[in-house]
Formats: sequence, C-alpha cells, structure tokens
Amino acid sequence: MTAEGRAASVQIERVTHRYGAMAALSDIDLTIGQGEFVTFLGPSGCGKTTLLRIIAGFLRPSEGRVLLQGADVTAVPPHKRPVNTVFQRPSLFPHLDVGENVAFSLRLAKTPEPEIKRRVADALALVRLPGYERRASHELSGGQMQRVALARVLVARPRVLLLDEPLSALDLAIRLEMEEELRRVHREVGATFLYVTHDQREALALSDRVAVFNRGRIEQIDRPERVYRRPATPFVARFVGDANVVPVDVTRAGGGETSIAIGSERILRRFPQSPEPGPAWLVLRPEALLLSEAAPRAPGIPGIVRDFAYRGSGYAYRIAVAGLGEMLKAEVPAVESGPFAIGAPVDLAWDISACLFLRRREG
Amino acid sequence: MTPGTSRRRDPVLLSFPAAMGFLLLLAVPLAVFLAYSFMTAGLFTVSPPFTFDAYARALGYGLNGILALNSIVIGLLAAAATVVLALPVAYWLRYCAGRWQMPCLFIITGSMFASYLVRIYAWRTILGTRGVFNQGLEALGVIDEPVGFLLYNRFSVTLALVHIFLPYVVLVLFAGFRPLAPAFLESAQDLGANAWQRWRRVILPVMAAPAATSFLFVFILSAADYVTPQLIGGTSGQMLGVQVQANFKAVGDWPQGAAISILMLLAFVACYGVTLLGLRLRRLDRIRWVN
Amino acid sequence: MESTLRSPFSGAITIASLVFLIAPLAVVVLFSFHETASLAFPFTGFSLRWYRAVFASPSFLNATLNSLIVASVSAIATLVLGVMAAFGLSRSSSALRGPLALLFFLPITLPGLFLGLALLVFFSRIALKLSLVTVTLGHIVYVFPYFLLIAKAALDRMDSALEDVAADLGASPWQVFWRVTLPQIRPVVIGATSLAFALSFDEFVITFFVIGSQSTLPLYIWSSMRRTIDPSINTISTLLMLVTLVMFAVAFALTIRKDGMRAEVGR
Repeated sequence: MTAEGRAASVQIERVTHRYGAMAALSDIDLTIGQGEFVTFLGPSGCGKTTLLRIIAGFLRPSEGRVLLQGADVTAVPPHKRPVNTVFQRPSLFPHLDVGENVAFSLRLAKTPEPEIKRRVADALALVRLPGYERRASHELSGGQMQRVALARVLVARPRVLLLDEPLSALDLAIRLEMEEELRRVHREVGATFLYVTHDQREALALSDRVAVFNRGRIEQIDRPERVYRRPATPFVARFVGDANVVPVDVTRAGGGETSIAIGSERILRRFPQSPEPGPAWLVLRPEALLLSEAAPRAPGIPGIVRDFAYRGSGYAYRIAVAGLGEMLKAEVPAVESGPFAIGAPVDLAWDISACLFLRRREG
Repeated sequence: MTPGTSRRRDPVLLSFPAAMGFLLLLAVPLAVFLAYSFMTAGLFTVSPPFTFDAYARALGYGLNGILALNSIVIGLLAAAATVVLALPVAYWLRYCAGRWQMPCLFIITGSMFASYLVRIYAWRTILGTRGVFNQGLEALGVIDEPVGFLLYNRFSVTLALVHIFLPYVVLVLFAGFRPLAPAFLESAQDLGANAWQRWRRVILPVMAAPAATSFLFVFILSAADYVTPQLIGGTSGQMLGVQVQANFKAVGDWPQGAAISILMLLAFVACYGVTLLGLRLRRLDRIRWVN
Repeated sequence: MESTLRSPFSGAITIASLVFLIAPLAVVVLFSFHETASLAFPFTGFSLRWYRAVFASPSFLNATLNSLIVASVSAIATLVLGVMAAFGLSRSSSALRGPLALLFFLPITLPGLFLGLALLVFFSRIALKLSLVTVTLGHIVYVFPYFLLIAKAALDRMDSALEDVAADLGASPWQVFWRVTLPQIRPVVIGATSLAFALSFDEFVITFFVIGSQSTLPLYIWSSMRRTIDPSINTISTLLMLVTLVMFAVAFALTIRKDGMRAEVGR
C-alpha cells in the first residue's frame, strides 16, 4: 500500500547493484502505486537506467528484491514478467510491417486472429496512427516509429510500463508533442508508468512523483512541486530547475532575528523558516531574485553584473558577490528600461519566505 | 560534385582493360563451351555439324542420372550441415565473443585458406582404418577393430566439404548479423519471446537472405566438385563432376562433358532463381534497417 | 543485455567448430615431423627427415618455383587491372557499372570445374598450348573478383570528397589518384594483393585442366596423394599452408582491422 492508499504495483526492496567494486545502485527502497506515473531523474551514470533494467528483468541485482503486484520476480526472466519496456530507439522489427510489429506479443501468446486485428487497430488508434497497419517501418518518421513502439507494448496491456528515455532521440518540437501524447495515453490506459530521463523539465511536466537519483542513491522522491520548491539536498536543488546553492553561515541574533553571512556580506532578518545556526546552504531560484540599482539603503546585498543573456521572456544575469566563489544567477522579466549593463553595481534582494535553507557539512 | 571540377572522362573507362580481359577469358570461353555441347564428338576433339546428340548421350546414360542424384544429395547435406553449424557460431561471434572476437575471426578466416587439397588429405588420414579417429575409438574401448565406414563414401565427402565451406559461411552470416543490434532482441524478449521464439521470429527472418544465399553457394560448389569424390568418395561417394572431368580427360567425349556441365549450370541457375523468388515472395530478400 | 544474448549452446558449438576446423590441419602438421613413415599414433618422435627429403626432391622444388612464379604474376596483374577496375566502378556513375560488375563477379559464383573446362576448350580452339601461361591466365580470372571486392569496398568507404578537394586545388586526375586516393587505400590494396597471391598459390581445380606438362605445388600434392602414403605429403602440405597463412595474415592485418567487420559486441 502506498501513502495515498493505492495498491502497490512495483516494490523495490533494498536493491544494490555492483559492477565490480563500483556500486551503481546502493540500497534502493521504493514503492510505486498502481497507475502512478513516476520518473527516475538524474544525470548519466546515476543508476536510473540500471534500476529500470533490474525492474524489467535484464539485470539481476547484486542484492535485494523486486516485487510486482506483490510477487517476487527477482529471479524471473524478462519475457515472463508482466512488465514492458519502451526503449530509446524504437527498434521496430524491420522484416515486419507496422501491424505485425504491434501484433508481435499477441502472436507469441497465440491470440486468435480476429482479436489480434481488433487489438492492433485499437492500439494504433490510441497512439493516433489509425490505419497504419500495412505500412513498412522504414517509411515512418522518428516520432511515428516511437509511437508504433508504444503501441507495440501497450497492446499487451501491461500493468507496468517502463520507458527508458524514449523521447531523447527526437527533435524538440516532436518531443513536446509526444509528451502530451504520453500523458494522455497514461490517463486512458491506467497502467503504472516508470519513466527514466535526464531532462528535468520533462520529469516535472509528466510525473505524479519524481525520484531524483545521484550516484546510485535516491536523494528525494516526491511530487514535482515539492521537489522543485522544497529540494531536500543541494544536488536536487541544482539539478531540478536551475538554482543558486550558496554556502552561508547562520547565526542567531537577538529578538527572533537571524544573521546570514553570504560571502563578505551580511543580512539580518526575521526568517519565518527559522534556520538552524551553523553552516548551511541557501537555495535561491533565479526567478526569485529581485535586482535593483545599487543604493546606500537598499534592502538586499550588493553585487556586480558580470554577464547577461537575452532569453526572450527576460534576461538571465550572472552577478558576482564579494566573497562568494560562484556567481549568482538571476532571471528577470524584460522591462522597458532595458538590462543592467555589464559591470553595473546592483542590489540583490529576494522574498525571504521564498528561500530555503539546507544543512551543510563543513569541509 | 564540387563546382569547378570537370570530369572529362568517366572513370569507368579505367575498368575497360580488365573488362576486355574478362570478355576474352571468361565470356568467350563460356560461349565456346556452350557451343561445344552442340558439336559432334571426336576423340578429344569436336567438329560440326551441330547436333543434340551430346545431350541425348548425357541424359540417356544411366550412370549420369545416379551420379546426378548423388551430387544433389551430397550437395544438400553439405549445405544444410554447414549453415546449421555456422549460424550459432556467427551468433556467438556477434553477441557473446567480446575480446575473443578478433582472435576467433582470425582462426576461422585463416583456416579458410588452408589448401583445399590439404584438407581432403587431412580427412583421408584421420578417417582411415589406421587414422586418428579409429585409434581413438579403439583406445576408448568402444570398438575392437577399426571401422571402415568412415572413409570412401558419402559421409567422408560431405564431411570434407563442410570443413571446406564452413569458414566462408560463418563469415557471411556474421556479416548478416551485424545490423541486428541487441536492442531488437531485447525488445522481442521484453514483448514475451523466449530464446526459441526470438530465433524463429526475429533472427531467422532477418538472416533468411544471407542464410539462403550461403546455402546455395555451398550446394552449387559442392555438387560440382570433382576432386573430393575422386580422392575420398570411394564408390558410393562419386559425383557428377567426376564424370565431366573423366569425359574431358579420359574418355575424350568433350561434347558430352560440356552437355552435362551446361545441364548442371541450368539446374543451378534454376535453384538460384527459385530461392530468390521465394525470398522475394516472403519479402525477406532485402531488409531495410532504420533505428 | 546480458541475459538476453547469452547462449552457452552457441559457445559450445563455436568451440567445437574451431576444433573441427583446426584439428585435422594440426594433425597434418604434426605428422610432417614424424620420425617414422607411419601416419598413425602413437607419435614416436620428432624429425626433420621428411623436410630434408622433400627439399632434396627436384620435382618438388620445381613445382614450388612454378607456383611462386604463377602466383606472383597473377597477383601483380590482378593488382594493376584490379585497382583500375575498382576505381572505375566505384567512382563512376555510368550505367555500365551494373553489367561490368556482373561480368567481374561472375567467377565467384561459378564452380571451378566450369571455369577450368571453358578455358581448356577455349585454349584448344585458339590453339594455345597448355602451359604455365595458360595457368596464369586462368588464375587471374579466378582471383580477380576477390581482389575487386575488397578494393572496391575500400574505395566506396573512402571519402571521395578528398579527391574533389585535390582536383579543386589543381591536381590532375593522375595526380589525384597517385597522391590522394592511393595512399588512403594502400594498406587494403596490399592486403588484397596478398590475398590474391595466396588464392593463386593454392589453386588446383582450374589448374588441373589448363596446365601442360609442368606442375604446380597443389598439383604435386595431388599426384603424390595418388602414389605415396608417407609423411612427405604432410610436409609439402605444411609448407603450402605456411606460405598461404603468412600471406593471409598480412592480408587480414591490412584489410579487416581497418574496416567495420568488427561489430562491437553489445552495440
């Protein structure tokens, strides 16, 4: 049972996987409910694809168990699991036309011919390629091939569908279109979708929950809004959405106020989130920063504009703050008065309830 | 073509010297050979008038029919055994070999160039009554006396032919496996196919064309062989090629030798045509790969 | 990936096939060093007596020399004609390419029996006496398609834009070929020539019909096989295999490693 009371569809228990001495996955514990859309998000080499392949059955984990609908399938080979995978490359069988490709799993199960015809037509209609049965695979575009690959796995009515970066080989425009398709198909089919990607925008747009992977561990798994607004670790903060993750020192001053040392600057405020004293990370989203002209009694901290880029919707600035090693990123909507010039002194302020403090270990 | 370059003469001209040579040494001789099959036979010579006699003799001579049948049987057996053996080897080389791929390829292609005659000689020594095989069986206590049925029959001829053609077929099938990326096999397994089903529904259809053409290649070259049967065929392992060779070198009936050869050639072309047609009908003759 | 592709069955067949291919040849080589005239186990001891006997035989030396000459001439003729033809077929857009390719590759599909006989009949018709010359001509026809296959593939793989650039910079067609194309394909061409040599050196089926009173090494083995039963045939065979193997190793090293014959495992 998951937290929301759904039946458990996929359970990962204490899964560790090693390649030689290196651990690709360390002690992963995960429960995914029936019908959920969960994304494994992370950079290359973080273990997300390894976990997916373990769930699919192409890898045996060094330690731990995999359960599907409550049954232990750790030792079960891929073709016997009620799971199907959509890969990065569609890999449509070149000697079969579209219809036969989609019908592949049904023919293996010796489904009667009329039912095959019906289900293939339904699957192709579901991915919006009706009537494509007799087309040859090499006549299709990249997006169409991937849709046929999707129909090919959906026709088997799996309860769990694994998707391994299925859109990364497609052009951006097709990719956005396919994302909508995937969300729609997920709603219509009701299966559990496990999606792997390194594209955090995609993860936020598609998922019920996002699991952020780093070096073989899950750093956070939560709804997209919470992962974005309340990242649990500096890594998640940096990886999901662009963030400034600034090393600061927190000291309690008197009267409920807290003093934050940022580089060589200091600010003194009553922070509603009452950060713990000591070393911390200050997480600031670039769009939360407010820039104004430097002035003696400006509310924020002083900085100098080092670079900016025009983004259509606004400007992306890089601001240097005294004593800070990295420059801060700020995103500001375009205004008539035009951008701040390079080298201009500015004042950096932000809504203090919109920032986040995370514990930092020294060293 | 980059603007500014002028190709004054098409490069195909460079191939003309070789083409001349080939017309003279291949096309013309084959034409003459065809003509000979219609000539009247003398002793080691031919003369006009043109006649169908040679074909009548070729088709009428009972021994020719028996030898033809033998050639077909041995050819089919050799081709089948070679392809059936070569498929798993090519599969292993493609998907499982890892760092052993290069060394194994070297061994296999290297053995391809061990002389034809040397191979036949090798099998003659091994399969003989005093050969390694018999000695091994005696040493293991399986038999008391050497067995004679290993040599000078269809079995030894087929075995030697498989030994000769196996490396070539492995290479052709290995090349055929190349575009079949592991992703396709994984997709098939993901969709529920076990190992046998993956072979039947994905690997074999894709490999049908290279497998069929190599089968044909081995069949044709085996059925037309005259050296192997002469050296290790005994009585039951004789083949039509020997008869042709005998007609030319011993008997002196060149038109009949030519007639038999032309008939064999026609049969081979027919086999080739039928196979291509079969592949085309199942749309397996040319696989278009996109991924 | 691992579980899908693994096949211990195929691995076993591969090992069995490798043994099947090599063991008989190894036995031949082994007994060429046999102390006695026996071709049966047990193997009593090593000796070079058969090698000494064979090298003392004038007919053997004569046959070997003939084979070397024929193979060298065939290889060189094939090299010259073949490189030109490969270039012609690869770089041309003429409609003649199809028929020409058909003509050139025909010998591969034709059993040697028919090639040999057709040549025999032709030489007899034009009253050309059978000799090493006729043998060489036959070998060239036999070997040429193999050379062409390799050389043309190398030219196809090569980026012909290099040639366009050279021409654009002022090189004549001959200079383009000599300074740009040839250096690119040189290793493959040498390898293919080496292969041509090996194929010619080994050739028997066609030679049998078109040779005169002389002998080549394979023909010498043939007549020995019908006469003697002693390890001298093993010796000659070993020597023959050695020459072929060396030429083949050269060919392999120069052609296959450069090309995409190696499918990366797992890709």
